[in-house]
Amino acid sequence: MNSTLKSPTSQQARRLWLFGLFLLLILALFLLSLALGSVSIPLKDIWGVLIGREGVRESWVYIVQNSRLPRVLTAALAGIALSASGLQMQTMFRNPLADPFILGINSGASLGVAIAILGSGFVGGLFLPALSLRGEFSLVLAASVGAGLVLALILLVGRWVQTPTTLLILGLMFGHATSAVVSLLVYFSAPERIQAYSIWSFGSFSGVNWTQLNVMALVILAGVGLMALLPKGLNALLLGEDYARTMGLNVGLLRFIVLLSASVLSGAVTAFCGPIGFIGVAVPHIARNLFKTSNHKILIPAIILIGAAVSMAASLIAQLPGSQLVLPINVVTSLFGAPFVVWVVLKRKRGATSFSV
Amino acid sequence: MPPVLQASRLKIGYKNGGKTPKVVADQLNLQLRAGEFVCLVGPNGVGKSTLLRTLTGLQPKLAGEIQLSGRKLDAYHSRDLANQVSVVLTSPISVGALRVDELAAMGRFPFTGLFDRMSEHDWEVVHETLRVVGVDKLSQRYVHTLSDGERQKVMIARALAQEPRLLVLDEPTAYLDLPGRVVVMNLLHDLASGHDKAVLTSTHDLELALRHADRIWLMDDEGLISQGAPEDLVLNGSFAQTFNRAGVLFDPLSGTFDTQNSGSKSVFLEGQGSELIWTKRALHRAGFVVNEEWIPGSPRVCVRPQEGATTWQLEHAGQTSAFASIYDLLQSLPK
Repeated sequence: MNSTLKSPTSQQARRLWLFGLFLLLILALFLLSLALGSVSIPLKDIWGVLIGREGVRESWVYIVQNSRLPRVLTAALAGIALSASGLQMQTMFRNPLADPFILGINSGASLGVAIAILGSGFVGGLFLPALSLRGEFSLVLAASVGAGLVLALILLVGRWVQTPTTLLILGLMFGHATSAVVSLLVYFSAPERIQAYSIWSFGSFSGVNWTQLNVMALVILAGVGLMALLPKGLNALLLGEDYARTMGLNVGLLRFIVLLSASVLSGAVTAFCGPIGFIGVAVPHIARNLFKTSNHKILIPAIILIGAAVSMAASLIAQLPGSQLVLPINVVTSLFGAPFVVWVVLKRKRGATSFSV
Repeated sequence: MPPVLQASRLKIGYKNGGKTPKVVADQLNLQLRAGEFVCLVGPNGVGKSTLLRTLTGLQPKLAGEIQLSGRKLDAYHSRDLANQVSVVLTSPISVGALRVDELAAMGRFPFTGLFDRMSEHDWEVVHETLRVVGVDKLSQRYVHTLSDGERQKVMIARALAQEPRLLVLDEPTAYLDLPGRVVVMNLLHDLASGHDKAVLTSTHDLELALRHADRIWLMDDEGLISQGAPEDLVLNGSFAQTFNRAGVLFDPLSGTFDTQNSGSKSVFLEGQGSELIWTKRALHRAGFVVNEEWIPGSPRVCVRPQEGATTWQLEHAGQTSAFASIYDLLQSLPK
């Protein structure tokens, strides 16, 4: 049996080392994201732009300040938010396949956006002329309203539902119902509007402007801040709500905060970037496997770092540096992420079932 | 000093939406003292878990009163309640990659603050409970690498780390092999008598409960609970009455359960010692009624213990044969 462990100190050392590594990785990805793209900008000029030095080529300053910097920050924030939301959902539902959208938050956002883009065809330009989209404030608004309504519904239902499993099923059913309405709208819409909607549904970190970025950052900070209060509660939930209750925790309040934090986080990302899959479900698993623990005192900081890094990497790849093409972010996260997670899972020794959350 | 747990005229069951609640048991009067190990036994589905969940505050009572250390259960703040009662629930846990000491440390939750900062004293308590339960050597192992028995001990250690006055367990031996069950029951008895806890456990291991419990709460399918020392319940027939359902017989002589014997073939058996007892069991199982006197025409079995090798001698229908094992003997008996 290989179950005897290294001493706690060497385990701690390993964890500190991993934290350091991810910080470096994030720094590297940050600089690369600013340097690479359709045009390459030398690192020393990137530095020049960041500290506001004179004499950097005007177009580069513009590209970094208005395109690449907001994009990389958006990517990092979204990655953190999705991972934090996913971790909380997986723990609360004690289900390794739970993701940030399991409660139907993105369905609500999608419905909001679908109504804005597709529905306006019937109502006659309620929100538009926004076929150019991406970052259009009307869409953010529509998605926020949709996500917010679902959030309110979840919190309301979460108060009187007996077990998390019931909540899970309600969320899934709500998602299906919403998708049906979206499908209905798509079915009766003009092709160019359908295309606009499907572009939104591919997800993107581009086109979030500085004002929107500020709002998004504030909301995500609040969500992550809530989660930071919960390592103890989330650890207790690993044993289930009954145990948590007998350990003196206020399970009703705990559930409320988890739902609030997870929904606000996933709602914010969906509103500003579209429904971005995979990161939320994968990052918690990567964190558990790398740090070899389910203890949220370690997992919470871990998923913040890993979430940011993974998302920034995906965003960088999506830009296809050196070309004029940009890939949808969902394509990148799934195409590159899935094999990676398969590898992480398969290389694990048998029995180390940290996948059981 | 008031008893650790006192329930009077307690009514338990499930609230059923707006409809009339489903009552599992009514008019229960129960008492549990410090230092006492009580086993709650009864056939499947009589409501043992419901009772335990109600007594620990996981489920609301329907009527009556529950007092913990002289104070009403409802009056406890959840954190104070956690200082009084801790539990080991029946469902198998899957906590993923947690070390044994991390899991046991969760028992300190009622004592630590929002961010669960463990003091030196908290860790001392955790390590002490791991030692008491006998899993201190495993403290750095991951929980998912433990055997079922080890994991159950860790869950007991976690419950103990809460430093409760009352420890409630719902079928803690359900997934364990026989040695594991004996060890856990022994441990629970020691926790009560040696550490002055009140320990209440439900179990299906009747024979172990009879052996280890200070007191038994015997719940029948009408929700009535007979209480008493195991021996009292055996002698006054409560045990036999509760469990004598189709095909199962409680034998007050041996304290064991047996299948109802429908055999009518008789056999005469002589011998002594443990060989005699086990031979009798085997014959019983094979459908024979073992007689004290020989009836002409029926087989006659004689156990002859000898140095090193016991032989079983069978006389039947004028023939005598000897066997080296009970198994061989059974093969040759008339069907």
